[in-house]
Amino acid sequence: MADSTLLTVEDLSVHFSTSRGTAHAVDRVSFSIEKGETLALVGETGCGKSVTARSILKLVPEPPGRYASGSIRLANPDGSSTDMLAAPMREVRAIRGERISMIFQDPGKALNPALTIGRQLAEVFGEHRLGMILERAGLDPDKARPTARRIAQQRAGATRRRVYSLTNRVTSRALQRSIDEAVMAALADTGIPNTRKIMASYPHELSGGMKQRVMIAQALACDPDLLVADEPTTALDVTIQARILELIHEMQQRRGTAILYITHDLSIVRQFADRVAVMYAGRIVESGRAIDVLTAPQHPYTQGLLAAIPRPGTPRGQLEAIPGSVPQLIDPPAQCHFASRCKWAAPACSAAVPRLLAVRPMHETACFRYESAESVGMPQEDMPARIHHEGATAE
Amino acid sequence: MTALASPRISLPTDPNHRTAAGVRWERRLQLAREVLRNPLTVFGLVIIGFFLLMAAAAPLLTEQNQPDAYQAPRDWSNIDVPPGTDGHVLGTDSTGGDVLYGIIWGSRLSLQLSFTVVFTTLVIGTIVGSIAAMRGGRVDNVLMRIVDIFLAIPELIFALAIAAVLGPSFENIILALASVFWVKYARIVRGEIIRVKQSEYVAAARVVGDSTWNIYRKDVLPNSLTPLMVQATLDMGNVVLIGATLSYLGLAQAGLTEWGAMVSAGQSGLLAGEWWVSTFAGLAIVLWALAFNLVGDGLRDVLDPKMEGR
Amino acid sequence: MNQHQPTIIRDRTPVSDAVLTLHDVKVHYPVKEGLLQSVTGHVRAVDGVDLTIGRGQTLGLVGESGCGKTTLGRVIAGLVEPTGGDLWVNLTAEQQRDVDRLRAVEPASMTAADRAAWQSLQTGHRLGSMSRENQRAYRRNCQVVFQDSFASLNPRQLVRDIVGRPLRVHQGLSGDRLNAKVGELLDMVGLGSQHMYRYPHQFSGGQRQRISIARALALNPEFVVLDEPTSALDVSVQAQILNLLVDLQGELGLTYLFITHDLGVVQHLSTTIAVMYLGQIAEYGPTDLVFNDPLHPYTRILRDSNPSLDGENDATEWELTGSVPNPISPPHGCRLHPRCPVARAECGWSVDDVLTDIEDRAPLLFETISRVERQDDFTADVTFDTEVSARAFADRLQASRAHDAVDRPLEIADATVSVSFREVPDATLQQLREGRLTSCTRTQNLGALPPIHETRR
Repeated sequence: MADSTLLTVEDLSVHFSTSRGTAHAVDRVSFSIEKGETLALVGETGCGKSVTARSILKLVPEPPGRYASGSIRLANPDGSSTDMLAAPMREVRAIRGERISMIFQDPGKALNPALTIGRQLAEVFGEHRLGMILERAGLDPDKARPTARRIAQQRAGATRRRVYSLTNRVTSRALQRSIDEAVMAALADTGIPNTRKIMASYPHELSGGMKQRVMIAQALACDPDLLVADEPTTALDVTIQARILELIHEMQQRRGTAILYITHDLSIVRQFADRVAVMYAGRIVESGRAIDVLTAPQHPYTQGLLAAIPRPGTPRGQLEAIPGSVPQLIDPPAQCHFASRCKWAAPACSAAVPRLLAVRPMHETACFRYESAESVGMPQEDMPARIHHEGATAE
Repeated sequence: MTALASPRISLPTDPNHRTAAGVRWERRLQLAREVLRNPLTVFGLVIIGFFLLMAAAAPLLTEQNQPDAYQAPRDWSNIDVPPGTDGHVLGTDSTGGDVLYGIIWGSRLSLQLSFTVVFTTLVIGTIVGSIAAMRGGRVDNVLMRIVDIFLAIPELIFALAIAAVLGPSFENIILALASVFWVKYARIVRGEIIRVKQSEYVAAARVVGDSTWNIYRKDVLPNSLTPLMVQATLDMGNVVLIGATLSYLGLAQAGLTEWGAMVSAGQSGLLAGEWWVSTFAGLAIVLWALAFNLVGDGLRDVLDPKMEGR
Repeated sequence: MNQHQPTIIRDRTPVSDAVLTLHDVKVHYPVKEGLLQSVTGHVRAVDGVDLTIGRGQTLGLVGESGCGKTTLGRVIAGLVEPTGGDLWVNLTAEQQRDVDRLRAVEPASMTAADRAAWQSLQTGHRLGSMSRENQRAYRRNCQVVFQDSFASLNPRQLVRDIVGRPLRVHQGLSGDRLNAKVGELLDMVGLGSQHMYRYPHQFSGGQRQRISIARALALNPEFVVLDEPTSALDVSVQAQILNLLVDLQGELGLTYLFITHDLGVVQHLSTTIAVMYLGQIAEYGPTDLVFNDPLHPYTRILRDSNPSLDGENDATEWELTGSVPNPISPPHGCRLHPRCPVARAECGWSVDDVLTDIEDRAPLLFETISRVERQDDFTADVTFDTEVSARAFADRLQASRAHDAVDRPLEIADATVSVSFREVPDATLQQLREGRLTSCTRTQNLGALPPIHETRR
């Protein structure tokens, strides 16, 4: 693992058992994320991008899910690394929220409807930043009384808090102020104007954009090394989406957080991501720098996806649609899953799984059109029309 | 497309030539297969089948008592004999009534009780709930306040009060239970219909211009019935449980071969070590209620609209 | 109906036949509160929409969530009763001019000829007063494709019954004749008669949307309302459906009302576009012109916020501030002005704007307000706990854009600040150029979108 690498996913497979067979939701996926960079994982419904994201935090429910193979290694500051899949649950929990956190597509569902925003954020600080809260309240974290600790952790009952505030008026106030200030600072950081009002609100009283800001404040409260963002703007209006994207970008610049950005929308990627990995039917079919993938896509699927997006110049009603639909992932055959929809498909495509190959520096794609018949071990006539590396002409 | 063909002949050999009825049956069969995949559901179905057989074959299994088949024959020479005594496999009670006879003929009463009560209340509840939900406004308000009044009183106490006023008899127990159970269905149906009415396929049917009655019949009702069916199955067991409680409390005729009444009759002997009357009758009640609950849960798992079709 | 209200005569020059003409359409939902459920206000979901849907065109209706576009679509489809305004069906260009003219005339002062013309227009073309027969014909002629194809197909019906339903209802078809027609319709949308005996859940999202389209086309309608038909689909499938819609339009001569929040899609598909904000139309015009040269700040902001695949999207200054106002009491003047980057004095500032602004940006100051006494929406005395707060409030106000709109200087007496703004009539949609309408008062005055840099903040 290079020094600058934060997370390495290798050979990850996630299977789900269903009544009809085993669904290969994620199939031998490998990628890595550098410190401070943004990697966008792009794909359509059911391509496995969300499952991949959840796997990183080990959030896939088992059963029906199962990590069938692979490792997800998070680099530690001391040079060692932790495999999220093999580590004991206690360790995984310590990493969640502290070093890797996540924001979701629907912030309404990710926030607890029964607690005020202030309380929810206070819990995060109590959980991960107890020392800081106590210290700022003028208490020594090592010597603080258990009651003070519990109050800071938001675990003390109402009676206990009341008794404490009566007997230790000064400390109690200092503690509350310390918590409130931490929460307010976190909220203000995300550009929420009236933090006091928001803290006293319940999630249902806020708009979608505001809830997503709260989620971001919560996710970034502990300065994680990696933020996994699972379609955080899909449910939002464009004007708000623009603000939220700006916010995430700005927070990243300021704190050096790496971001794994899951989306189905290629147009966001251009402004927002350093690198892109395109997923199709559980596999990564193309990856590279965002600008390269968007301007010179190599895999037929990426090409199709880009051509299908309506642009100002496209003649009306003449979008290049990809025919057919995504194949079933239940007990899939060993082949290129895009073969059934691909205009280049040849017998080889239905006979083996193409490897991810570099077509130029930092740009890989998994397509037989870049492989020679010898290296695959297939007869020449079964191969699709070939493209030479660097060149864009078919034979 | 076989357009305008002469009278339709079904061609079972052609897989593409299918009929609507055939496809609907296929779907039902598939649902049935899904239901049968759960071993607990199958277990419940087996018990229910066993009780049904027992009820059907009652006159064959035992010699029917005259004049009233629902009074166990009295064997005055064998009072309170334990199970296994010659001629009395499950023993007798303090009046010499055969326990096995009671359980076999009691299954007929239980069947009668649960089917009559559940079927009538289902129909009444569906009608009331549908009117409330489809009409809305004041009609809905009035009907639902009536339902609220019924729901405010615990069902057992309410049934008890009705049965007490009408006097002790098995028919009155049926009546008492029926007057209690419909409200639950009315409420479920109303809630479901209001949910379905807001769905886009109902909006689509309105755009097409179909009549309200057709929309109710084709879109609203079929999509509202699932939770009702599950509840009805569960209630098949509950009704017998509550019915047994009422007869246990003495609201059935004395000596009736009703399981609850039998538990009640055997109670006095329990302290003297004569456990068998209450135990076997109680066991029958528990098995009955358990069986329907298992099947109801199994149905819920399969029919749950959230799971369906995905 | 409020055709007798004095209305502003809009200088519109209708050029084509219209399948539908909307005049001042409103949908207000009462807000009920308390034990007695007394009405305390109205949510103005749609608040005075004028719109013409020309025959054969594709009108894109764009806006963000909560702007009322879906409600408006449902009014047009007959699923929601409007609480005000008129819907006119099948007016020729000349009839549209007549309606425009006659609406403004008091019935008492009409000439006999006018009265007769008005009467015949009402009975022949206005929904609500035309014959039941004609009304049913309009309903048959206007069909809908809904957003969520999973929710809009009855899960317990076979495709044959779903697609064949309009045929059964209106043409009494059944048996083999029904099957033949359903097969044709399925062929038309790229499915086949082999799909007839299946349930909706056996199809993919794109195929289900094709079934919806087949159902909508069963009665040969002229006019189809497409309510976000592709927003639940993946891009590659969306492209298939959009192509299909364009093909069908060419083949069958359909008129589309395309409701969406996706600017890329609307730009691709629509010939004309109407941008909605907070229950009203902000801008209306030919799609290309609206995109290249927006005449309403809101359109410009929408366009600039939309991420694009081509070219760098410069960090733009055209952005909205604050949050969406309460639709129960929308802002006066132009509805966008509290959030608009180019708002000025003439845009309709009122007391509420100032209060909302300090609630958001100076919450501590807001909490020191002890009483607000209003004469009307434009004039009020705001009393604070201390004189210091009152001064701070006055300073804030003086530094803000809203201060340009006061009609007399702020008066500070003790802890009370008296504010009074010039009353401004509500912004209306007006034609600025041939076929280009905007409701932005500044644009109407300048003749072009106001430049952003000279606007003082």
